[in-house]
Parts: sequence; C-alpha cells; structure tokens
Amino acid sequence: MAALRGEVSWFCCGSAWGPCGSAGGGACGTCSSGNYQHAWPNTSDACLAITRPHACGITGMSRRGCGFRHYTTNLCNGARVGTAIADCGPQTDLFCGERTCCGSACGSNRIIDLTPAAYSAIASLSTGLRPCSVNTV
Amino acid sequence: MDQTLDRRRLLATAALGGVVTATGLGSLAPEAAFAAEATTVEPGAPDPNFAEGRIGKITGNMLLVTGSDTVLHSIRITDGTSIWKLHPTTFDRVAVGDGLYARGVRLPDGTLAADAVWVNIVNLHAHIAAVGRNVLHLDHKGRRIVAHVVPDRSAAVYNGTPAVSDMSLLRVGRHVQVLGAWHPDTNEIDIATVYAAA
Repeated sequence: MAALRGEVSWFCCGSAWGPCGSAGGGACGTCSSGNYQHAWPNTSDACLAITRPHACGITGMSRRGCGFRHYTTNLCNGARVGTAIADCGPQTDLFCGERTCCGSACGSNRIIDLTPAAYSAIASLSTGLRPCSVNTV
Repeated sequence: MDQTLDRRRLLATAALGGVVTATGLGSLAPEAAFAAEATTVEPGAPDPNFAEGRIGKITGNMLLVTGSDTVLHSIRITDGTSIWKLHPTTFDRVAVGDGLYARGVRLPDGTLAADAVWVNIVNLHAHIAAVGRNVLHLDHKGRRIVAHVVPDRSAAVYNGTPAVSDMSLLRVGRHVQVLGAWHPDTNEIDIATVYAAA
C-alpha cells in the first residue's frame, strides 16, 4: 500500500470512564484505550459498507484484518506511531471533503482513528484531529 | 544533545523534587514536544508511559488514579506538566472524581511523571438529536448526551473551515464529532470543539 494521506482522530475503547464506558472492545474484541491500536475503515465487507471511504473518492485503502500494523505520521510535527488494527472505523463518508491543515501540510478525509495512548504519542489529545499519512512500513 | 533524553531527564528531575522552570520545558512548542518523544512500544501493546482512569485521591502533587481496568496509578504533577480541562489550566482545577488520560515518563518506582494530563476529555462521535439555547442534545451509542455551549470557549469547525463560535449551522440529524470535557458522573459535557460536515 502506498502511503495514504488524510486525517487522523482518536477514540476510546475497552474499559473506560464517562461516556466512553459503553465503548467495548471494538470489532476485534481486543481494543483498549491504553494500547497502541487503531480503527481502520476496511477490515471487512460489513465494515466497508459502514465507513464507505469510496464515497469520498478514496482509493488504495486495502482490506486489512485485526492485528495488522499501520504506521501513522502526524504531518504537523513528523511524529510517528505504529499501531495494530482493533476496530472498524472511522466513518469516513460522514465527513467527505473535510480538510485539516498545519500550515501547508494538509490532509483530507478521515482515514484512521487511534486509541488515546497512540494518538497522544504523536499529538495532544486536545487537538482532536490532525493531518496525517498512513503507511505499512 | 538529544532532545528526548533531555526532556526525560528534566521530567525525572522535577518528579524527584528538583526545580524545572517553565522555560526549561516550555522551550518545546506543543507539537514539537510530541515529536520529541521516542516511540518504542510494539504496535498493539500497552504503553507503559500512558495511564487512564479516575482520580481517587490527591496528595500534594500526586494523583492516585484507579484505571478503568482497576489498575492503580500514581501520577506526579511537575512544574512542566501541561494540564487540559476544557482549557489549558492549572493543577488546582483538578478534582477527585475527575477522569483523565496522562502521558509521561514511568519512573523506577512505578510513578508516572506526567508530561501532559487531559482531564475529563472526551471525543465523541454522535448525532444531533435536538438543539436548544446554548445546548446540543446528542445521541451517542444509543445514549443521550447533553452538550453545553460554553461562551468564549466552544467552537464549531464546519468541514475543515477555521473554528468559529457560531453554532447556528448545526442541524438536527447531522453527524458530529464533539471534543469536550465530561461533567463527572453525569451525561453532560462542555463543548470545546464541534466538528461538523458541511
């Protein structure tokens, strides 16, 4: 898979407090906010039918199963984190065309959601959304 | 000098009672600070330098936190710790019962010397069920969340455009991402930022 450029956000899963308390272990059943994990929009046919990245014109988003590793780079600072698939998401089609920039570094469309542990390794949780690139190496 | 090692030594010094000036850690801009952290955790594995849970006790500059998985964490707040609770804020605004995520450096005694603490932060994907005066009623995983608009703080980002305080374009039925701060033990949050598709 060639590096995919887009937006990264974060989500909670597993045992959690507050509104996240009902999050559960995700589509793979293993998701935990404290682990280096992520949600990927194309983990299965059923997942892809929900996330629909193609509706935003995204091609090259390969089918990857639970445990597959991706490496996400925050385009604002170059920080990079490796994570394993633990859930289906984000729901890309709900934000088609959305664009996030840091100066001239931009990403369009939501392509990956990281757990709080993983996102906070490359950005402050209070940023909520960052332009990113995602690769398999 | 390696910036990561330098930062870790500063945090450890602060955690052990040394003096760290704001200038010492503040020399790194927020994004640069995260870029400076080395990542050595295996994909899929838990990060020992990260903790989450609810604050059970505050003693001096130490937070005693019970993780959602029941693991206990001792989290030390240093002069260099950044604290977020709807806004960037100070240690005196942190309270027993608050939820948190924390990132820092795990010391040999198991204490986490915190680099950053996000108190009560939530990042919810939801649908707008109703819009009231300075409040959004959200459907989040089948449960109702009452999201308060906070004057001079809450902002809306419409399809990636710059954040604005005007919430008038938010419509019932639309999907939103809401970054905010939870009111402990309630179904209410304060809104920091609402991300909405156009």
